[in-house]
Amino acid sequence: MSIITISRQMGSLGDEVASALSRKLGWELITRDLLMERFFPDSSPEQRTRLAESAKFYLSEYKDGRSFKDVLAASLISMSRESSAVLLGFGSQLMFSGSNDALHVRIVASDTTRLSRIEKHFHLSEDASKALLASTDRKHKRFVSHVFGEDLSDLSLYHLILNTDHLTVDECVASILAAFHEHDLRARIKTETRSEGSLDHQSETPVFKNPSEAEFAKILDMYHIDWKYEPKTFPVEWDSEGNVTLAFSPDFYLTRFDTYLELTTMNQKYVTKKNRKLKKVKELYPGTNIKIVYKKDFLELAERLRSVSAPDNHEESGEKNE
Amino acid sequence: MNNITYKKIIFTEKQLRERIIELGKKITEDYQGQEIVLLGVLKGSLFFFTDLARAVDLPMQIDMIAIGSIPDTTSSTGIVRITKDLDINITGKHVIVVEDIIRTGLTTAYLLQTLEARRPASVDVCTLLYNPDRQLIDLPVKYFGFEVDRSWLIGYGMDSGEYGRNLPFIAEMEH
Repeated sequence: MSIITISRQMGSLGDEVASALSRKLGWELITRDLLMERFFPDSSPEQRTRLAESAKFYLSEYKDGRSFKDVLAASLISMSRESSAVLLGFGSQLMFSGSNDALHVRIVASDTTRLSRIEKHFHLSEDASKALLASTDRKHKRFVSHVFGEDLSDLSLYHLILNTDHLTVDECVASILAAFHEHDLRARIKTETRSEGSLDHQSETPVFKNPSEAEFAKILDMYHIDWKYEPKTFPVEWDSEGNVTLAFSPDFYLTRFDTYLELTTMNQKYVTKKNRKLKKVKELYPGTNIKIVYKKDFLELAERLRSVSAPDNHEESGEKNE
Repeated sequence: MNNITYKKIIFTEKQLRERIIELGKKITEDYQGQEIVLLGVLKGSLFFFTDLARAVDLPMQIDMIAIGSIPDTTSSTGIVRITKDLDINITGKHVIVVEDIIRTGLTTAYLLQTLEARRPASVDVCTLLYNPDRQLIDLPVKYFGFEVDRSWLIGYGMDSGEYGRNLPFIAEMEH
């Protein structure tokens, strides 16, 4: 399952972003308080107080020779296999640092902005707000340093860093969702690729082999249909030594519809060859959904693309019902 | 008189009527005990939609949606967008999208993406005409009236330059 970790500075609106993101995705929001209740049900009030106050206490034994940190990490990883979640704070970005299924986000804001928010939120004086901000920043830094031996402010720990000086909570959520969507898709294709033995291209910028492919990409964009260009190669024939002698790389993958499309704008000889490859892919990789876009369909769709500027969109040539 | 020339009639008024009554019965059985939203896609499905709605014996709300392609100032190509949105809220409801014809399925795919964002309880598609061989995207087409090939069609909602929608039958056009 998928995990999004949110690390935040105090006063950065990170809690609000995590909460809105969890609502939007319908995933559980895992906070520190919830962790204590769920994963350390046998802990005493004294132990909980010490966990809240001392980072080093996470390294002390909880039970059966395992530290609080180890139990926490193991419990979270086990939970992440069952359900997707938004994790807020407690160094979760480090517990999932090696996971392909996790996206790590850091929410920050300038000291001026954070101070202003803290003053308003807690009704504190400027000096008291400064003191609170400084002590909380120190505490967060110490926690990550003592428990994980890492620097919280190390930018390389995060996929995405968002500054709420300039972005609203909604804008942050939209940015995270967009990044998550792409990241999750890449992870999914990578996983599928590994299990099926096919090759993962994941080209960052598509370089189309011919103008028809570029035009078809425009058609898909016109219909708001997300696509990836040649994300995968399916080997379909091997020689006696196991070397691939024939492979098939469908032109497009429609991410939302889990469908590969192969464009044929050429003559019948090549269409027959493509059909043969396609049949083999379906046999060798059951469950893979591949379709061929035939020349006539492509030309009709391309015609529609060109007729868009015509105000009177005729049923067959512009409006709908392709 | 319709000033429309066509090659031959593919589906007569009687064939359409009989098939739509069958579809109505099937939908009534499948959704027994439930309330549905019947959603017509303008303008092509207009007559199919009204006949189908009256052939279904279930509590239902009806609404219409229209999709058009417009030039996009931010790119060299146009974009498809909703030109007439729904008036009713479909969240938590069982929706049946009524189409006149599905060919490649790109328009319907766009429509379903848009509708699913509104979190209905379910979305199924009922199309009068259907060409599964040309379909590029697998859509939840639960009901269809007739399978068709690539011919250019007119009548019973489908047009040629906005004419011919009111023909009571479906005919193949010269192309």
